[in-house]
Amino acid sequence: MSEDAIIKLEGVSTVYEGESRPAVKDVSLTIKRNELVYIVGPNASGKTTLLETINGLLPPFKGKVTVFGLDIQKKGQKIRCQIGYVPQDFMVKPGEPYKAFDVVLMGRYGHIGFLQHPTEQDKQAALDAMKLIGIEDLADRPMGKLSGGQQQKVMLARALAKKPKILLLDEPFSNLDPDSRGQIPVLVTKLHREQDLTTLIVTHDIHHMLDSCSRVIVVSDGRVTFDGTPENALPLVENHPHTTSLEGHHH
Amino acid sequence: MIWFEWFEFAIMQRALIACILAGFLMGLIGVFVVRMRLSAIGYSMSHGAFAGAALGVATATNPLATGLVFASVTALLIGPIADKARLHADTITSIVFPLNMALAFVFLTLAPEVGLSSQVANVLWGSIISMTNSDLVFLVTLFAGTLALVYFVWKELFAIMFNRKLAEADGINTKPFIYMIIFLAGVVVTFSLKLVGGLLIYALLFNPASTVLQFSENMRKVIVYSPLVGMITTVTGLLVSLFFDLPVGSCIVIVSTIVFAFALLLSPKRRRKEVQQHEEK
Repeated sequence: MSEDAIIKLEGVSTVYEGESRPAVKDVSLTIKRNELVYIVGPNASGKTTLLETINGLLPPFKGKVTVFGLDIQKKGQKIRCQIGYVPQDFMVKPGEPYKAFDVVLMGRYGHIGFLQHPTEQDKQAALDAMKLIGIEDLADRPMGKLSGGQQQKVMLARALAKKPKILLLDEPFSNLDPDSRGQIPVLVTKLHREQDLTTLIVTHDIHHMLDSCSRVIVVSDGRVTFDGTPENALPLVENHPHTTSLEGHHH
Repeated sequence: MIWFEWFEFAIMQRALIACILAGFLMGLIGVFVVRMRLSAIGYSMSHGAFAGAALGVATATNPLATGLVFASVTALLIGPIADKARLHADTITSIVFPLNMALAFVFLTLAPEVGLSSQVANVLWGSIISMTNSDLVFLVTLFAGTLALVYFVWKELFAIMFNRKLAEADGINTKPFIYMIIFLAGVVVTFSLKLVGGLLIYALLFNPASTVLQFSENMRKVIVYSPLVGMITTVTGLLVSLFFDLPVGSCIVIVSTIVFAFALLLSPKRRRKEVQQHEEK
């Protein structure tokens, strides 16, 4: 693994939980340190499975995933403490007994030792992450009472609270209100640039492709069908009936 | 004799202390069982304890010990099997519950003087007046041990109750904590068998947590109030049984179900949901 390579997939095939057919088929990829990569493709093309294979939540039945030079299946717990993950369409039911601040603080748990409780520094890191996203006023609100967009921001704050080295975002802008759709992508760009965050964004809607995106990976039927610059990805994505056109939206 | 004068007897004092401890523990563990969606497993396991206790009666060994072995074996097998075979919770319950009940009735049939044996009745319906001092020592130890365990691994349990997959994504190895709760539920159920018996014990694990979850939007409050509700319902059930001269276990379950029904009627969460649905129409 070269020094710059932070994530490496070698001939990886994965089955999504509860399914019998592979959702990711024989994928080989290398993501370099500080890259901002868009993973695009139609619904059910294997994008989420690819992301969950990278952070080790889904074990591949074939091939090997290496993150920070370590095998994710052997050192997953340790590696995941360094990966901020925002899952797709995560919604908490109304009436669920969790406050937004508690959910953000959970992002710190991997860093806190066994049998230990969160310290004041952990609580401050969670609060800072909420401030960064602009949701500190939601800290005491029950999660179930928040809108879809607010919950999505809480999940992003949770991912950032752990001060990750890698950010994996699965459709992170899908539930945001129009104002936040402008702010949050800008914030992700800023974090990526200022904190050297290696960032992978999964989406089927590329209306809000970030300025700093230098690479697009197109996934179709579980396979990587394109891996290159956004400009070169354009015709491919345009022609796909289920993927929103890049035309006129990429800055 | 006036009903409260019963508590002048050591036997009833032990019964009261057992109600307080077991009610508290069942209410506490019930929160994890409900929130981690382990209800089906808890259900199978509590009947595993019942089958084990029945074996104890049949073989003239301590029903508590055999109940504990059966509950533990059920707990230790069900967790990994459910994980490996990716079985739906309903499937596990549908298979293990009748199996445990069938085993329990086979064991009870093999018991000497079947049907009339007071020990058989104790296993089926519970017998709080048969609480011994050593039973109480076990319960107190279990009470202290469970509280200490929950205190020290609270953050892991809290994260898993919110969402297991996200807890994994944050670097928590969730499996040992889930198995720990399943095992702990098995032990608590077994030690509480004398309260309500094997047929009704599950209600005590499920009702207090479900009652409190109708009201609170803060998990820290749920974890405090659910054991209190468990404790209050078991003590009230005991008092009702003394007052009306009815079986203790049945009274405890009836009281806890009535409390849950009131919670359902008064729940602000449910009312909000109804208003929301009405507005959507």
